[in-house]
Amino acid sequence: MVVKFWGQEFKVNVILGCLGGFLIAIVSSMFGFGGGPFMVPLMTVGLGLPMYVVVGSSLLAIFFNTMMGTMRHYQFGNFDLVFFAIMFPAAILGGFIGPQIAKRVSPIAMKRIAVAGLLLLALNLLGVF
Amino acid sequence: MKKGTMEMKYYLWLLIMIIIAIGISFPPNDLWAQKALDARLGPEGKAGQVLAAKAGEPTGPTAMPVTIQVDKTILNNGGTITVSGHAAPGQPVYLEIWSEKKVRASRFDADVDKNTGKRPYVLCMTDEMPAYYQIYVPQDQKGILDRVKKEGPGWSLTKVLKDLGAEAVCSVPLQAKIDQYQASLMGSIIGSRGELLPIMDKKENARRSMQLLKARARKPEKLIVSAIEMAPDGAYHAQVKIPDGLVPGRYSIVAIAGGDPSRSQPVHIENQIHFPNIYLANAGTSLNLIGPFFLSLGIAIFGVLMGAGGGFMLNPLLVSLWPLPHTIVAGTVMPTVLFSQGTGIYNYSKIKFINWKLGSAIGLAMVAGGFLGPKLTELITLDQFKFVFGWILIILASLMFWQTTPRYLSKNKKEQAILKEFKKKAEETMKKK
Repeated sequence: MVVKFWGQEFKVNVILGCLGGFLIAIVSSMFGFGGGPFMVPLMTVGLGLPMYVVVGSSLLAIFFNTMMGTMRHYQFGNFDLVFFAIMFPAAILGGFIGPQIAKRVSPIAMKRIAVAGLLLLALNLLGVF
Repeated sequence: MKKGTMEMKYYLWLLIMIIIAIGISFPPNDLWAQKALDARLGPEGKAGQVLAAKAGEPTGPTAMPVTIQVDKTILNNGGTITVSGHAAPGQPVYLEIWSEKKVRASRFDADVDKNTGKRPYVLCMTDEMPAYYQIYVPQDQKGILDRVKKEGPGWSLTKVLKDLGAEAVCSVPLQAKIDQYQASLMGSIIGSRGELLPIMDKKENARRSMQLLKARARKPEKLIVSAIEMAPDGAYHAQVKIPDGLVPGRYSIVAIAGGDPSRSQPVHIENQIHFPNIYLANAGTSLNLIGPFFLSLGIAIFGVLMGAGGGFMLNPLLVSLWPLPHTIVAGTVMPTVLFSQGTGIYNYSKIKFINWKLGSAIGLAMVAGGFLGPKLTELITLDQFKFVFGWILIILASLMFWQTTPRYLSKNKKEQAILKEFKKKAEETMKKK
């Protein structure tokens, strides 16, 4: 598959991407984790895509999984409406503000932000905090 | 070509709407289960009445009535109450404290059963767990509690109460009507609760309610506090700390004298909270809504910027900063993240930072993987998983960082081109200003 972005063409091995996504989803859903943070390195390092395309596409990829997980939690009754009502406007706002910032930030900086996020998650998993 | 991708987008939204519609049209099994349960109980009434413990009457012939009093009856979002009273000399005194407001507690039993060697996959659920529940024990039993803390996550509430001589103390949770559902592994993936099982006998209900209490509290020190000072003549007093951020409303405190368990009459306290603290009915706790709002705002922005959901940061932060039960947090964070992803996708597509075909192809592959994952939880423990993936993430993060170093950029023409394009656009917007 060829991905076009800002006048450049990127050749992407879709099979590799789907296989990677499949494996990541298996592994992260074993313990109730969202696959999001693993998807970003897959696309940048594994598929060689520029960061700008990666952010939107990875959000799209994990969207379906998150939706299924949401329905599952809802059926198990783990949902507090008031709590959700507090965080819901913040989430929507975040979804609007985020891309506005992404537009103005260089791809290098965006990648470094993602690196920071990954490191935070890694430290969390390793028990540092 | 453009027309093709436009159609694709609309089909995608249609697919999403259909999935949501299916998800909503399966109502939570509550309605069916309640009807089935009522039909089963028939004219005898609710199961809860059968299991209710008698309170207020001293039992044996030599029993002395236990007295109790408190120094204040109104609390403003938590506080410390001094509880004192009198019991027969030489007997340990315990306090059972619970809130009137009830909350839902559930536990999915998927641990291997020691007797049968198989995993039961049974979901235990009750809507009548007190939102706040604590047992106070005499100070001299602190050693037993410290030992339990060291046991780690495998501690047993029933065993602890036995060791403390407090088996008869825990009564209110036992009155909760608990429903059991036989779920299947596939059912647990898509969220169906499964079939309602027949009502349990008293002993099994007690065992399950202990499990649910433990699941909600997680750590023994959250349920049991050793703080009662006993005097040789049978007088006792204790400082009962009600933390802030808990459920408002009426609380009851009952004193129980061990040995021959006689209960005092309950004392009632009123815990009030004011805006901007609000009560989360399902979580059973209250919190100041300003904090979580800004926290989730910050994390939503960061998550959308990063290309991930943000749930992996929101979850641990919410649990560690506020006294929220982790199951409710997990269940509420997920739809929150879902919406931040959704609006992120929408806004990214407006600036074309997204590739629909790639994203949806990988997305569907992930859904397939999501079905497989829970079946494999038996292969690896949580700690192993955390260790392996912690390190994998570090390696991946360093690879990504290497992609931003000047050396890599000089070899990769396409990245350079994109960087140049970005700088050009930045200059253009500067010139416009």
